[in-house]
Amino acid sequence: MQTPRFQNVLLLLASYAVYAYLDARMLWLLVAATLVSFAVGWGTQRLQAHGAERAAGILTTAGVSAAVGLLVAFKYLDFFAEGIVASMQSMGLNVSWTALHLVLPVGLSFYSFKLISYMVEVRRERILAERDFVAFAAYVAFFPTILAGPIDRPQHFLPQLHQSRALRWENLVSGAKMILWGAFMKVCVADILSPVTDMAWDAGGERLALWAFLMYPMQMYADFSGYSLMAIGVAKTLGFDVACNFRQPFMARNVAEYWRRWHMSLTTWVTDYVFMPLSLRWRDAGRWGLAAAVTVNLVVIGMWHGDSVTYLLFGLYHAMLFMPLVFGGTFGRNKKLRTARWGLPAATESMKMARTYLLVAVGFVIFRAPNAVAVWAFLCRLFTPALPMQPAPGGSRWFYLVVIFGALLTEYFMRNASSPLHFKGNGLMQRRWARWAVYYVLLAFLYICADTGAATQFIYTQF
Amino acid sequence: MFNGQCSMNNMTSQEIYNRLTAVFRDVFDDETLTINPATNADEVEEWDSLSHVQLIVAVEQEFGVRFTSREILKWRNVGEMAEALQQKLS
Repeated sequence: MQTPRFQNVLLLLASYAVYAYLDARMLWLLVAATLVSFAVGWGTQRLQAHGAERAAGILTTAGVSAAVGLLVAFKYLDFFAEGIVASMQSMGLNVSWTALHLVLPVGLSFYSFKLISYMVEVRRERILAERDFVAFAAYVAFFPTILAGPIDRPQHFLPQLHQSRALRWENLVSGAKMILWGAFMKVCVADILSPVTDMAWDAGGERLALWAFLMYPMQMYADFSGYSLMAIGVAKTLGFDVACNFRQPFMARNVAEYWRRWHMSLTTWVTDYVFMPLSLRWRDAGRWGLAAAVTVNLVVIGMWHGDSVTYLLFGLYHAMLFMPLVFGGTFGRNKKLRTARWGLPAATESMKMARTYLLVAVGFVIFRAPNAVAVWAFLCRLFTPALPMQPAPGGSRWFYLVVIFGALLTEYFMRNASSPLHFKGNGLMQRRWARWAVYYVLLAFLYICADTGAATQFIYTQF
Repeated sequence: MFNGQCSMNNMTSQEIYNRLTAVFRDVFDDETLTINPATNADEVEEWDSLSHVQLIVAVEQEFGVRFTSREILKWRNVGEMAEALQQKLS
Protein backbone atom coordinates (compact mmCIF):
# COMPACT_ATOMS: atom_id res chain seq x y z
CA MET A 1 0.00 0.00 0.00
CA GLN A 2 1.42 3.34 -0.96
CA THR A 3 1.55 6.02 1.69
CA PRO A 4 -0.64 9.09 1.32
CA ARG A 5 2.50 11.18 1.07
CA PHE A 6 3.77 9.27 -1.93
CA GLN A 7 0.39 9.37 -3.61
CA ASN A 8 0.05 13.08 -2.98
CA VAL A 9 3.44 13.77 -4.51
CA LEU A 10 2.42 11.86 -7.63
CA LEU A 11 -0.92 13.63 -7.71
CA LEU A 12 0.71 17.01 -7.33
CA LEU A 13 3.23 16.37 -10.08
CA ALA A 14 0.49 15.12 -12.35
CA SER A 15 -1.65 18.16 -11.56
CA TYR A 16 1.15 20.58 -12.29
CA ALA A 17 1.95 18.70 -15.49
CA VAL A 18 -1.68 19.04 -16.58
CA TYR A 19 -1.61 22.72 -15.68
CA ALA A 20 1.62 23.21 -17.61
CA TYR A 21 -0.09 21.67 -20.59
CA LEU A 22 -3.07 23.98 -20.22
CA ASP A 23 -1.27 27.20 -19.40
CA ALA A 24 2.47 26.86 -18.87
CA ARG A 25 3.13 30.59 -18.60
CA MET A 26 0.92 30.98 -15.55
CA LEU A 27 1.95 27.87 -13.64
CA TRP A 28 4.20 30.04 -11.49
CA LEU A 29 1.16 32.04 -10.36
CA LEU A 30 -0.64 28.91 -9.22
CA VAL A 31 2.41 27.80 -7.25
CA ALA A 32 3.04 31.26 -5.80
CA ALA A 33 -0.59 31.72 -4.77
CA THR A 34 -0.56 28.28 -3.15
CA LEU A 35 2.58 29.13 -1.18
CA VAL A 36 1.19 32.45 -0.01
CA SER A 37 -2.12 30.97 1.13
CA PHE A 38 -0.35 28.14 2.90
CA ALA A 39 1.77 30.68 4.76
CA VAL A 40 -1.24 32.84 5.63
CA GLY A 41 -3.11 29.83 7.01
CA TRP A 42 -0.15 28.75 9.07
CA GLY A 43 0.51 32.28 10.30
CA THR A 44 -3.12 32.92 11.21
CA GLN A 45 -3.34 29.78 13.28
CA ARG A 46 -0.13 30.57 15.16
CA LEU A 47 -1.25 34.09 15.90
CA GLN A 48 -4.61 32.86 17.15
CA ALA A 49 -2.90 30.28 19.31
CA HIS A 50 -0.98 33.10 20.98
CA GLY A 51 -4.13 35.14 21.42
CA ALA A 52 -3.17 37.77 18.86
CA GLU A 53 -6.67 38.02 17.42
CA ARG A 54 -6.30 41.38 15.74
CA ALA A 55 -3.05 40.43 14.02
CA ALA A 56 -4.58 37.17 12.84
CA GLY A 57 -7.53 39.07 11.44
CA ILE A 58 -5.28 41.48 9.61
CA LEU A 59 -3.21 38.65 8.15
CA THR A 60 -6.27 36.81 6.88
CA THR A 61 -7.73 39.97 5.45
CA ALA A 62 -4.46 40.66 3.66
CA GLY A 63 -4.34 37.14 2.24
CA VAL A 64 -7.94 37.20 1.08
CA SER A 65 -7.53 40.68 -0.39
CA ALA A 66 -4.49 39.50 -2.32
CA ALA A 67 -6.43 36.61 -3.80
CA VAL A 68 -9.41 38.80 -4.61
CA GLY A 69 -7.08 41.45 -6.00
CA LEU A 70 -5.52 38.87 -8.28
CA LEU A 71 -8.90 37.86 -9.60
CA VAL A 72 -10.05 41.42 -10.02
CA ALA A 73 -6.86 42.42 -11.81
CA PHE A 74 -7.12 39.67 -14.37
CA LYS A 75 -10.86 39.71 -14.83
CA TYR A 76 -12.06 43.21 -14.28
CA LEU A 77 -9.20 45.64 -14.61
CA ASP A 78 -9.97 46.49 -18.21
CA PHE A 79 -13.66 46.80 -17.39
CA PHE A 80 -13.18 49.30 -14.60
CA ALA A 81 -10.32 51.15 -16.23
CA GLU A 82 -12.19 51.65 -19.46
CA GLY A 83 -15.18 52.86 -17.52
CA ILE A 84 -13.09 55.35 -15.60
CA VAL A 85 -11.28 56.53 -18.73
CA ALA A 86 -14.55 56.86 -20.62
CA SER A 87 -16.12 59.00 -17.93
CA MET A 88 -13.00 61.11 -17.60
CA GLN A 89 -12.94 61.66 -21.35
CA SER A 90 -16.56 62.66 -21.36
CA MET A 91 -15.62 65.32 -18.83
CA GLY A 92 -13.09 66.64 -21.26
CA LEU A 93 -10.00 65.18 -19.61
CA ASN A 94 -7.51 63.85 -22.06
CA VAL A 95 -6.47 60.50 -20.78
CA SER A 96 -5.78 57.25 -22.50
CA TRP A 97 -5.54 53.73 -21.36
CA THR A 98 -3.94 50.95 -23.31
CA ALA A 99 -6.03 47.98 -22.42
CA LEU A 100 -3.84 45.42 -20.78
CA HIS A 101 -5.93 42.64 -22.24
CA LEU A 102 -4.56 40.40 -19.59
CA VAL A 103 -5.35 36.83 -20.44
CA LEU A 104 -7.11 35.13 -17.60
CA PRO A 105 -4.93 32.33 -16.26
CA VAL A 106 -6.55 28.96 -16.58
CA GLY A 107 -8.66 28.03 -13.59
CA LEU A 108 -7.94 31.24 -11.66
CA SER A 109 -11.60 31.88 -10.88
CA PHE A 110 -11.81 28.43 -9.36
CA TYR A 111 -8.54 27.97 -7.52
CA SER A 112 -8.50 31.45 -6.07
CA PHE A 113 -11.84 30.61 -4.49
CA LYS A 114 -10.36 27.46 -2.99
CA LEU A 115 -7.54 29.51 -1.49
CA ILE A 116 -9.87 32.15 -0.04
CA SER A 117 -12.06 29.43 1.40
CA TYR A 118 -9.05 27.85 3.11
CA MET A 119 -7.80 31.07 4.66
CA VAL A 120 -11.23 32.01 5.95
CA GLU A 121 -11.96 28.57 7.40
CA VAL A 122 -8.66 28.62 9.30
CA ARG A 123 -9.48 32.09 10.59
CA ARG A 124 -12.94 30.94 11.67
CA GLU A 125 -11.24 28.05 13.46
CA ARG A 126 -13.39 25.54 11.64
CA ILE A 127 -10.38 23.66 10.29
CA LEU A 128 -6.78 23.32 11.35
CA ALA A 129 -4.16 24.85 9.12
CA GLU A 130 -2.70 22.24 6.84
CA ARG A 131 0.76 21.18 7.87
CA ASP A 132 1.62 19.20 4.77
CA PHE A 133 2.37 21.52 1.88
CA VAL A 134 2.23 18.74 -0.69
CA ALA A 135 -1.29 17.80 0.37
CA PHE A 136 -2.38 21.43 0.34
CA ALA A 137 -0.87 22.06 -3.08
CA ALA A 138 -2.52 18.91 -4.40
CA TYR A 139 -5.87 20.19 -3.10
CA VAL A 140 -5.43 23.50 -4.90
CA ALA A 141 -4.09 22.12 -8.18
CA PHE A 142 -6.19 18.92 -8.27
CA PHE A 143 -6.24 18.31 -11.96
CA PRO A 144 -9.76 16.93 -12.54
CA THR A 145 -11.28 20.12 -11.15
CA ILE A 146 -8.63 22.74 -11.86
CA LEU A 147 -10.10 23.80 -15.16
CA ALA A 148 -13.72 24.55 -14.35
CA GLY A 149 -14.54 23.24 -10.89
CA PRO A 150 -16.48 22.04 -8.93
CA ILE A 151 -14.95 24.19 -6.21
CA ASP A 152 -14.03 21.90 -3.34
CA ARG A 153 -13.91 23.05 0.25
CA PRO A 154 -10.86 22.31 2.37
CA GLN A 155 -12.85 20.67 5.17
CA HIS A 156 -14.17 18.03 2.78
CA PHE A 157 -11.18 17.56 0.56
CA LEU A 158 -8.04 17.84 2.68
CA PRO A 159 -8.99 14.87 4.91
CA GLN A 160 -9.17 12.71 1.80
CA LEU A 161 -5.60 13.62 0.97
CA HIS A 162 -4.48 12.46 4.39
CA GLN A 163 -5.59 8.93 3.65
CA SER A 164 -4.15 6.63 1.09
CA ARG A 165 -6.37 5.79 -1.85
CA ALA A 166 -6.53 2.28 -3.18
CA LEU A 167 -7.63 1.53 -6.70
CA ARG A 168 -11.11 0.12 -6.09
CA TRP A 169 -13.39 -1.53 -8.56
CA GLU A 170 -16.46 0.28 -7.15
CA ASN A 171 -14.76 3.62 -7.69
CA LEU A 172 -13.81 2.80 -11.26
CA VAL A 173 -17.34 1.68 -12.07
CA SER A 174 -18.92 4.61 -10.29
CA GLY A 175 -16.57 7.07 -11.97
CA ALA A 176 -17.13 5.50 -15.36
CA LYS A 177 -20.89 5.85 -14.97
CA MET A 178 -20.56 9.52 -14.14
CA ILE A 179 -18.23 10.11 -17.06
CA LEU A 180 -20.62 8.30 -19.39
CA TRP A 181 -23.63 10.33 -18.32
CA GLY A 182 -21.61 13.56 -18.33
CA ALA A 183 -20.31 12.91 -21.82
CA PHE A 184 -23.83 12.11 -23.00
CA MET A 185 -25.16 15.39 -21.62
CA LYS A 186 -22.34 17.38 -23.15
CA VAL A 187 -22.14 15.75 -26.56
CA CYS A 188 -25.73 14.67 -27.17
CA VAL A 189 -27.61 17.51 -25.56
CA ALA A 190 -25.45 20.61 -25.20
CA ASP A 191 -23.54 20.35 -28.46
CA ILE A 192 -26.73 19.60 -30.39
CA LEU A 193 -28.44 22.69 -29.02
CA SER A 194 -25.49 25.00 -29.31
CA PRO A 195 -25.44 25.68 -33.09
CA VAL A 196 -29.07 26.74 -32.98
CA THR A 197 -28.75 29.06 -30.03
CA ASP A 198 -25.59 30.55 -31.52
CA MET A 199 -27.43 31.11 -34.79
CA ALA A 200 -30.31 32.76 -32.99
CA TRP A 201 -28.00 35.16 -31.22
CA ASP A 202 -25.41 35.85 -33.86
CA ALA A 203 -27.37 35.66 -37.07
CA GLY A 204 -30.47 37.27 -35.61
CA GLY A 205 -33.02 34.89 -37.06
CA GLU A 206 -36.47 35.87 -35.82
CA ARG A 207 -37.88 32.45 -35.99
CA LEU A 208 -35.12 30.89 -33.97
CA ALA A 209 -35.49 33.25 -31.07
CA LEU A 210 -38.23 31.33 -29.30
CA TRP A 211 -36.45 28.04 -29.69
CA ALA A 212 -33.18 29.54 -28.47
CA PHE A 213 -34.97 31.18 -25.55
CA LEU A 214 -36.47 27.90 -24.39
CA MET A 215 -33.46 25.73 -25.09
CA TYR A 216 -30.61 27.87 -23.82
CA PRO A 217 -31.03 26.98 -20.13
CA MET A 218 -31.05 23.31 -21.13
CA GLN A 219 -27.92 23.82 -23.15
CA MET A 220 -26.12 25.58 -20.32
CA TYR A 221 -27.19 22.92 -17.90
CA ALA A 222 -26.19 20.02 -20.12
CA ASP A 223 -22.85 21.61 -20.95
CA PHE A 224 -21.83 22.52 -17.46
CA SER A 225 -23.34 19.59 -15.58
CA GLY A 226 -21.90 17.27 -18.21
CA TYR A 227 -18.48 18.74 -17.71
CA SER A 228 -18.79 18.71 -13.93
CA LEU A 229 -19.87 15.10 -13.95
CA MET A 230 -16.92 14.10 -16.04
CA ALA A 231 -14.57 15.90 -13.68
CA ILE A 232 -16.26 14.33 -10.65
CA GLY A 233 -16.14 10.93 -12.37
CA VAL A 234 -12.42 11.18 -13.06
CA ALA A 235 -11.82 12.17 -9.45
CA LYS A 236 -13.94 9.22 -8.38
CA THR A 237 -11.82 6.74 -10.29
CA LEU A 238 -8.86 8.11 -8.36
CA GLY A 239 -10.74 7.51 -5.13
CA PHE A 240 -11.77 11.09 -4.39
CA ASP A 241 -15.22 12.42 -3.55
CA VAL A 242 -15.67 15.80 -5.08
CA ALA A 243 -18.43 18.32 -4.33
CA CYS A 244 -21.64 17.96 -6.28
CA ASN A 245 -22.42 20.80 -8.68
CA PHE A 246 -25.97 20.21 -9.88
CA ARG A 247 -29.06 18.58 -8.46
CA GLN A 248 -31.81 18.60 -11.09
CA PRO A 249 -32.07 22.41 -11.19
CA PHE A 250 -35.17 22.43 -13.35
CA MET A 251 -37.08 20.67 -10.63
CA ALA A 252 -36.88 23.91 -8.68
CA ARG A 253 -40.25 25.32 -7.72
CA ASN A 254 -38.95 28.78 -7.06
CA VAL A 255 -35.83 30.80 -7.72
CA ALA A 256 -34.37 30.18 -4.27
CA GLU A 257 -34.60 26.45 -4.77
CA TYR A 258 -33.09 26.86 -8.24
CA TRP A 259 -29.98 28.41 -6.75
CA ARG A 260 -29.72 25.55 -4.29
CA ARG A 261 -29.56 23.18 -7.24
CA TRP A 262 -27.49 25.10 -9.83
CA HIS A 263 -23.69 25.35 -9.75
CA MET A 264 -23.90 24.42 -6.11
CA SER A 265 -20.20 24.56 -5.38
CA LEU A 266 -20.14 28.22 -6.41
CA THR A 267 -23.38 29.30 -4.79
CA THR A 268 -22.62 27.61 -1.46
CA TRP A 269 -19.20 29.27 -1.55
CA VAL A 270 -20.67 32.73 -2.10
CA THR A 271 -23.39 32.01 0.48
CA ASP A 272 -20.83 31.04 3.13
CA TYR A 273 -18.35 33.84 2.51
CA VAL A 274 -20.50 36.72 1.31
CA PHE A 275 -24.13 36.17 2.31
CA MET A 276 -23.55 34.80 5.82
CA PRO A 277 -21.27 37.57 7.10
CA LEU A 278 -23.38 40.29 5.49
CA SER A 279 -26.72 38.96 6.61
CA LEU A 280 -25.39 38.63 10.16
CA ARG A 281 -23.97 42.13 10.09
CA TRP A 282 -27.29 43.52 8.87
CA ARG A 283 -29.57 41.32 10.93
CA ASP A 284 -30.99 44.25 12.82
CA ALA A 285 -32.46 45.59 9.62
CA GLY A 286 -34.85 42.63 9.38
CA ARG A 287 -36.17 41.86 5.92
CA TRP A 288 -34.38 44.82 4.38
CA GLY A 289 -31.04 43.57 5.70
CA LEU A 290 -31.76 40.19 4.15
CA ALA A 291 -32.79 41.79 0.87
CA ALA A 292 -29.55 43.73 0.74
CA ALA A 293 -27.46 40.65 1.56
CA VAL A 294 -29.29 38.59 -1.07
CA THR A 295 -28.69 41.31 -3.65
CA VAL A 296 -24.96 41.51 -2.95
CA ASN A 297 -24.81 37.72 -2.99
CA LEU A 298 -26.36 37.42 -6.43
CA VAL A 299 -24.42 40.32 -7.88
CA VAL A 300 -21.20 38.60 -6.80
CA ILE A 301 -22.36 35.36 -8.40
CA GLY A 302 -23.20 37.20 -11.59
CA MET A 303 -20.00 39.19 -11.74
CA TRP A 304 -17.85 36.18 -10.94
CA HIS A 305 -18.55 35.13 -14.52
CA GLY A 306 -16.76 38.09 -16.00
CA ASP A 307 -16.49 41.75 -16.67
CA SER A 308 -19.50 42.36 -18.82
CA VAL A 309 -22.27 44.63 -17.58
CA THR A 310 -24.74 41.92 -18.56
CA TYR A 311 -23.33 39.73 -15.78
CA LEU A 312 -24.08 42.49 -13.32
CA LEU A 313 -27.60 42.84 -14.70
CA PHE A 314 -28.02 39.09 -14.52
CA GLY A 315 -27.22 39.21 -10.81
CA LEU A 316 -29.59 42.12 -10.24
CA TYR A 317 -32.35 40.39 -12.17
CA HIS A 318 -32.13 37.29 -9.99
CA ALA A 319 -31.94 39.43 -6.88
CA MET A 320 -35.18 41.05 -7.98
CA LEU A 321 -36.77 37.62 -8.33
CA PHE A 322 -35.80 36.86 -4.76
CA MET A 323 -37.58 39.86 -3.29
CA PRO A 324 -41.07 38.35 -3.12
CA LEU A 325 -39.52 35.35 -1.39
CA VAL A 326 -37.52 37.43 1.08
CA PHE A 327 -40.45 39.63 2.04
CA GLY A 328 -42.93 36.80 1.92
CA GLY A 329 -40.61 34.78 4.12
CA THR A 330 -40.97 31.45 2.37
CA PHE A 331 -37.67 30.72 0.73
CA GLY A 332 -36.09 28.58 3.35
CA ARG A 333 -38.52 25.76 2.92
CA ASN A 334 -37.42 22.65 0.99
CA LYS A 335 -40.71 20.89 0.84
CA LYS A 336 -40.85 17.34 -0.43
CA LEU A 337 -42.02 17.04 -4.01
CA ARG A 338 -45.61 15.92 -4.37
CA THR A 339 -45.94 13.25 -7.01
CA ALA A 340 -48.89 12.05 -9.03
CA ARG A 341 -49.31 9.09 -11.34
CA TRP A 342 -46.24 7.12 -12.38
CA GLY A 343 -44.13 9.11 -9.98
CA LEU A 344 -44.28 12.24 -12.09
CA PRO A 345 -44.64 15.58 -10.31
CA ALA A 346 -48.13 16.76 -9.34
CA ALA A 347 -49.74 19.38 -11.56
CA THR A 348 -49.19 22.33 -9.25
CA GLU A 349 -45.57 21.32 -8.78
CA SER A 350 -45.08 21.07 -12.54
CA MET A 351 -46.58 24.52 -13.01
CA LYS A 352 -44.13 25.97 -10.51
CA MET A 353 -41.25 24.24 -12.26
CA ALA A 354 -42.37 25.60 -15.61
CA ARG A 355 -42.71 29.09 -14.18
CA THR A 356 -39.27 28.92 -12.61
CA TYR A 357 -37.83 27.64 -15.88
CA LEU A 358 -39.24 30.61 -17.79
CA LEU A 359 -37.89 33.08 -15.25
CA VAL A 360 -34.50 31.42 -15.44
CA ALA A 361 -34.65 31.49 -19.26
CA VAL A 362 -35.13 35.26 -19.20
CA GLY A 363 -32.15 35.48 -16.88
CA PHE A 364 -30.09 33.52 -19.37
CA VAL A 365 -31.03 35.93 -22.14
CA ILE A 366 -29.43 38.65 -20.03
CA PHE A 367 -26.48 36.37 -19.30
CA ARG A 368 -25.89 35.50 -22.93
CA ALA A 369 -26.49 38.92 -24.49
CA PRO A 370 -23.42 40.77 -25.77
CA ASN A 371 -24.66 44.00 -24.22
CA ALA A 372 -27.62 45.45 -22.38
CA VAL A 373 -29.40 46.72 -25.47
CA ALA A 374 -29.32 43.30 -27.10
CA VAL A 375 -31.29 41.90 -24.18
CA TRP A 376 -34.32 44.00 -24.98
CA ALA A 377 -33.95 43.37 -28.70
CA PHE A 378 -33.87 39.63 -28.17
CA LEU A 379 -36.86 39.62 -25.85
CA CYS A 380 -38.85 41.63 -28.38
CA ARG A 381 -38.12 39.06 -31.03
CA LEU A 382 -39.83 36.43 -28.93
CA PHE A 383 -43.14 38.03 -29.65
CA THR A 384 -42.95 37.97 -33.45
CA PRO A 385 -45.62 35.59 -34.69
CA ALA A 386 -43.44 33.09 -36.47
CA LEU A 387 -42.93 29.44 -35.82
CA PRO A 388 -39.49 28.21 -34.82
CA MET A 389 -37.92 26.66 -37.85
CA GLN A 390 -35.77 23.56 -38.00
CA PRO A 391 -33.30 23.57 -35.12
CA ALA A 392 -30.20 22.89 -37.15
CA PRO A 393 -29.39 22.30 -40.80
CA GLY A 394 -29.68 18.65 -41.69
CA GLY A 395 -31.24 17.67 -38.36
CA SER A 396 -34.60 16.43 -37.31
CA ARG A 397 -36.35 18.56 -34.72
CA TRP A 398 -38.12 15.58 -33.22
CA PHE A 399 -34.93 13.62 -32.72
CA TYR A 400 -33.46 16.43 -30.67
CA LEU A 401 -36.57 16.97 -28.66
CA VAL A 402 -36.77 13.26 -27.87
CA VAL A 403 -33.14 13.15 -26.76
CA ILE A 404 -33.47 16.25 -24.61
CA PHE A 405 -36.78 15.25 -23.11
CA GLY A 406 -35.48 11.75 -22.53
CA ALA A 407 -32.42 13.09 -20.76
CA LEU A 408 -34.54 15.32 -18.51
CA LEU A 409 -36.93 12.52 -17.68
CA THR A 410 -34.08 10.15 -16.91
CA GLU A 411 -32.52 12.66 -14.58
CA TYR A 412 -35.86 13.17 -12.87
CA PHE A 413 -36.30 9.48 -12.17
CA MET A 414 -32.68 9.15 -11.09
CA ARG A 415 -32.98 12.09 -8.73
CA ASN A 416 -32.79 10.06 -5.56
CA ALA A 417 -29.80 8.04 -6.68
CA SER A 418 -26.46 8.93 -5.18
CA SER A 419 -25.18 9.85 -8.62
CA PRO A 420 -26.22 9.33 -12.23
CA LEU A 421 -26.75 5.79 -13.45
CA HIS A 422 -26.49 4.37 -9.93
CA PHE A 423 -29.64 2.31 -9.93
CA LYS A 424 -31.15 1.33 -6.63
CA GLY A 425 -34.31 -0.44 -5.56
CA ASN A 426 -35.83 -3.66 -6.77
CA GLY A 427 -37.08 -2.66 -10.16
CA LEU A 428 -36.10 -3.44 -13.67
CA MET A 429 -32.72 -1.82 -13.30
CA GLN A 430 -31.47 -4.52 -11.02
CA ARG A 431 -31.23 -6.78 -14.02
CA ARG A 432 -27.81 -6.73 -15.56
CA TRP A 433 -29.12 -6.73 -19.11
CA ALA A 434 -31.33 -3.72 -18.44
CA ARG A 435 -28.48 -1.66 -17.07
CA TRP A 436 -26.17 -2.62 -19.89
CA ALA A 437 -28.88 -1.83 -22.42
CA VAL A 438 -28.94 1.69 -21.00
CA TYR A 439 -25.17 1.99 -21.22
CA TYR A 440 -25.12 0.78 -24.82
CA VAL A 441 -27.90 3.16 -25.79
CA LEU A 442 -25.97 6.06 -24.29
CA LEU A 443 -22.78 5.02 -26.05
CA ALA A 444 -24.70 4.73 -29.31
CA PHE A 445 -26.06 8.23 -28.87
CA LEU A 446 -22.58 9.48 -28.10
CA TYR A 447 -21.32 7.95 -31.30
CA ILE A 448 -24.15 9.40 -33.39
CA CYS A 449 -23.97 12.87 -31.91
CA ALA A 450 -20.20 13.16 -31.85
CA ASP A 451 -20.26 12.35 -35.51
CA THR A 452 -22.19 15.47 -36.43
CA GLY A 453 -19.05 17.46 -35.76
CA ALA A 454 -20.90 19.95 -33.63
CA ALA A 455 -18.57 19.47 -30.67
CA THR A 456 -17.78 22.77 -29.06
CA GLN A 457 -15.66 23.93 -26.21
CA PHE A 458 -16.98 23.73 -22.69
CA ILE A 459 -18.70 27.00 -21.95
CA TYR A 460 -17.47 27.34 -18.38
CA THR A 461 -13.76 27.14 -19.09
CA GLN A 462 -13.93 30.76 -20.19
CA PHE A 463 -14.88 31.90 -16.67
CA MET B 1 -31.65 9.62 33.19
CA PHE B 2 -30.24 12.11 35.60
CA ASN B 3 -26.65 12.25 36.72
CA GLY B 4 -26.00 11.73 40.40
CA GLN B 5 -25.02 15.33 40.91
CA CYS B 6 -27.13 18.16 39.62
CA SER B 7 -24.82 21.11 39.97
CA MET B 8 -25.93 24.61 39.11
CA ASN B 9 -23.99 24.42 35.85
CA ASN B 10 -25.76 21.29 34.67
CA MET B 11 -29.16 22.73 35.41
CA THR B 12 -28.32 25.89 33.53
CA SER B 13 -27.10 23.84 30.58
CA GLN B 14 -30.30 21.82 30.52
CA GLU B 15 -32.37 24.94 30.77
CA ILE B 16 -30.46 26.44 27.87
CA TYR B 17 -31.20 23.39 25.77
CA ASN B 18 -34.86 23.48 26.71
CA ARG B 19 -35.22 27.08 25.70
CA LEU B 20 -33.15 26.51 22.57
CA THR B 21 -35.41 23.64 21.57
CA ALA B 22 -38.41 25.92 21.84
CA VAL B 23 -36.69 28.52 19.65
CA PHE B 24 -35.66 25.93 17.08
CA ARG B 25 -39.16 24.52 16.94
CA ASP B 26 -40.56 27.95 16.37
CA VAL B 27 -38.09 29.05 13.70
CA PHE B 28 -38.25 25.78 11.76
CA ASP B 29 -41.98 25.39 12.31
CA ASP B 30 -41.63 21.82 13.55
CA GLU B 31 -43.08 20.82 16.90
CA THR B 32 -41.35 17.46 16.88
CA LEU B 33 -37.83 18.78 16.38
CA THR B 34 -35.23 17.72 18.93
CA ILE B 35 -31.71 19.01 19.20
CA ASN B 36 -28.52 17.74 20.75
CA PRO B 37 -24.96 19.11 20.88
CA ALA B 38 -24.07 17.52 17.56
CA THR B 39 -27.05 18.88 15.63
CA ASN B 40 -26.15 21.10 12.71
CA ALA B 41 -27.59 22.33 9.41
CA ASP B 42 -26.94 19.01 7.69
CA GLU B 43 -29.51 17.30 9.87
CA VAL B 44 -32.35 19.76 9.84
CA GLU B 45 -34.04 19.95 6.49
CA GLU B 46 -35.17 23.55 6.71
CA TRP B 47 -31.99 24.96 8.18
CA ASP B 48 -30.28 26.94 5.47
CA SER B 49 -28.52 30.27 5.22
CA LEU B 50 -31.71 32.28 5.44
CA SER B 51 -33.21 30.46 8.37
CA HIS B 52 -29.77 30.49 10.04
CA VAL B 53 -29.95 34.27 10.36
CA GLN B 54 -33.54 34.07 11.58
CA LEU B 55 -32.43 31.48 14.12
CA ILE B 56 -29.63 33.70 15.41
CA VAL B 57 -31.97 36.64 15.77
CA ALA B 58 -34.51 34.48 17.60
CA VAL B 59 -31.86 33.03 19.94
CA GLU B 60 -30.47 36.47 20.73
CA GLN B 61 -33.94 37.76 21.50
CA GLU B 62 -34.86 34.75 23.62
CA PHE B 63 -31.76 34.95 25.80
CA GLY B 64 -31.28 38.70 25.65
CA VAL B 65 -27.68 38.43 24.41
CA ARG B 66 -25.74 39.76 21.48
CA PHE B 67 -23.02 37.88 19.58
CA THR B 68 -20.43 39.24 17.19
CA SER B 69 -20.35 37.94 13.63
CA ARG B 70 -17.02 36.36 14.37
CA GLU B 71 -18.41 34.35 17.26
CA ILE B 72 -21.39 33.18 15.23
CA LEU B 73 -19.37 32.14 12.21
CA LYS B 74 -17.23 29.87 14.35
CA TRP B 75 -20.06 27.60 15.43
CA ARG B 76 -20.19 24.25 13.74
CA ASN B 77 -23.10 22.76 15.65
CA VAL B 78 -25.68 23.43 18.33
CA GLY B 79 -23.24 22.34 21.03
CA GLU B 80 -20.86 25.17 20.23
CA MET B 81 -23.73 27.65 20.12
CA ALA B 82 -24.95 26.42 23.52
CA GLU B 83 -21.47 26.73 25.02
CA ALA B 84 -21.16 30.26 23.74
CA LEU B 85 -24.57 31.03 25.25
CA GLN B 86 -23.56 29.59 28.57
CA GLN B 87 -20.43 31.71 28.64
CA LYS B 88 -22.36 34.84 27.75
CA LEU B 89 -24.97 34.21 30.43
CA SER B 90 -22.59 33.45 33.28
